[in-house]
Amino acid sequence: MMTDNTLENMLDFDHPAHLRAHKFLVEESYVLDRRDFDTWLAMMADDITYRIPVTSTLGTNPHKAGEMDHMFEDRYSLGKRIERLKSKYAWTESPPSRTRHLVSNVACFSTDNDAETRVMSALMVYRTQGADQGPDLICGMREDILRNQAGQMRLAARTVTLDQSVLQTQNLAIFL
Amino acid sequence: MENDMNEMDQILEDVRQGWIPSHIYSDAAIFDEEQKRIFSRTWQFMGHVSEVPNDGDYVVRNLLEDSFIVVRGNDTKVRVLLNLCRHRGGKVCRNESGNAQKFVCPYHAWAFKTDGSLAGVPYHQEAYGGTEGLNKKEFGLYRPPHMEIFNGLIFINLDPDAEPLESYLGDFASYLSFYVPDVPGGVEVRGPQRWRFNANWKIGSENFSGDTYHTPQTHASMGAIKLVSSAATSNRKAGVMFAAGRGNGATFRLGDGPGSFEERLGNNGFPKEQIERMRAAWPPEIVALLQQDGLLPSASTLFPNMSLLHISAKIDENDEFAPFTTIRLWMPISATETEMWSWFVVDKAASEEFKRKSYKAYIMCFGTSGMFEQDDIDAWVTLTKMTQGYVSSAVHLHSRMGMNQDGSPLNEPLEEYSGQGTAHIGFNEYNQRRWLNFWAEHLEMDPPAHPIRSGAE
Ligand code: FES
Ligand SMILES: [Fe+2]
Repeated sequence: MMTDNTLENMLDFDHPAHLRAHKFLVEESYVLDRRDFDTWLAMMADDITYRIPVTSTLGTNPHKAGEMDHMFEDRYSLGKRIERLKSKYAWTESPPSRTRHLVSNVACFSTDNDAETRVMSALMVYRTQGADQGPDLICGMREDILRNQAGQMRLAARTVTLDQSVLQTQNLAIFL
Repeated sequence: MENDMNEMDQILEDVRQGWIPSHIYSDAAIFDEEQKRIFSRTWQFMGHVSEVPNDGDYVVRNLLEDSFIVVRGNDTKVRVLLNLCRHRGGKVCRNESGNAQKFVCPYHAWAFKTDGSLAGVPYHQEAYGGTEGLNKKEFGLYRPPHMEIFNGLIFINLDPDAEPLESYLGDFASYLSFYVPDVPGGVEVRGPQRWRFNANWKIGSENFSGDTYHTPQTHASMGAIKLVSSAATSNRKAGVMFAAGRGNGATFRLGDGPGSFEERLGNNGFPKEQIERMRAAWPPEIVALLQQDGLLPSASTLFPNMSLLHISAKIDENDEFAPFTTIRLWMPISATETEMWSWFVVDKAASEEFKRKSYKAYIMCFGTSGMFEQDDIDAWVTLTKMTQGYVSSAVHLHSRMGMNQDGSPLNEPLEEYSGQGTAHIGFNEYNQRRWLNFWAEHLEMDPPAHPIRSGAE
């Protein structure tokens, strides 16, 4: 049985699973902001599902028709995006984005799988490029499933719920 | 620009010669004219009927600063209503989508039914003296003077004297039926993704009209990582550009001369049952275009700012291809900012597996994170920025590819072409000039009669 993401179920901050998760998120920001995408990809589980759904302002009885994502990734497509960024032709990232992934409000919950922890966190990404692009602010909530693979932490699933329904950055050539 | 007709005449004359005064991509005064003379009289895409499948379902859509509710009424009819309360101008619906039996204004609670009629006015009797003082029948939400639906695509026109959609589309209807086929059961759309960037709205519209010349350079990364076939990147010169009705577009070369319809679509990732459904649904000239000429439409623009695109990409390690289609609007926010609305389109009756693969290909290639789209928009943002300088804004940009020094065409349209309209092979800017000629033609016309003053309800 999956535990609910209620306050009572939130793991203590000195719980080993919380400590591992927090460390993972700091490490991840560290490699993303250094644009060390190969290391970042190695932190993903082989069966990663990585989603950034489109946020929309829904009224009552919203119909499910037409749900959309900004990103809907598996290991293959994340790999292709990184391969592209490493090619000489990713013009939009020339000069490369300077990003600051600020992760806070980390809340962990156990799941029905002993090896997996559900991790909620607040994300704010500050992005500038060159001398005159940005700054853009991209904010949202991450909901992650972190998997302990024989002592190695891997991201098994991520959903980033953005705060903006109309994105105010020219593209998502960066990872959130 | 001064508000000076002579100066405007000169701009339009230059544009027609393929010399574009660069400031048209960032000039606020030009944008003012565009709002009054282009968006006020052209057919504008609002959404697809599959976005409002049930009675009471609605989506809210913008046309420049105007907000519209696209809603399916209890009589199952789709209507487009101005999202403006008839009392004091409150925004009647503040959501982007949902389901409602009525829209109640947050300010003083006037309530409108899904057909737009005014159903409730608080204290109607005491405050207004009942129907004598305020006849509710006269205060329904405004509707644009014209609304028409083509293959489920909902269009409006704000010009009371607008020509019918069918004659506006002209031969482009054939290509529109390629992207959004008239399949039994219709297509469904997902989205839109919405995002803003600092580029003028015209650049994307022109690009999708037929700029295949940018592909080998702008999208070099797509070939480098082997996401698409060479027909989609390095071999774009072999495709043709078509001009039809109020639309223009480009094609991919999938084969030389006659060949098998099944094989050509199959190589592009169409599963067997989709091939059969497309053969039955596409207009015969689209089938012939692929079968006889080896060409498949890629990007197109319907003047002024609706674009469509079809392309295939590799969606997994096993080199499996999947095709996808997108509809998009380049909705201007200002002379230097555009909001993109981008939808994914798929045959509603397609298998879940095909839908998933096609969607995957879309997300990888286009939209907010699309690996094609990223580099397009980056180029247009840069261009828009460049045209704002004191020196740079006075420069004439070159749009004369396919034109001799004396203005005569470098080559003639193809004599044999199976699609509708006329077509040129290879790299050229005939279509972009044609789009810019529509633009110039509209800026020369007086603004149309106003939709409200002329009594539209
Ligand atoms: S403005 Fe809508 S009820 Fe008054
Ligand atoms: Fe492009």
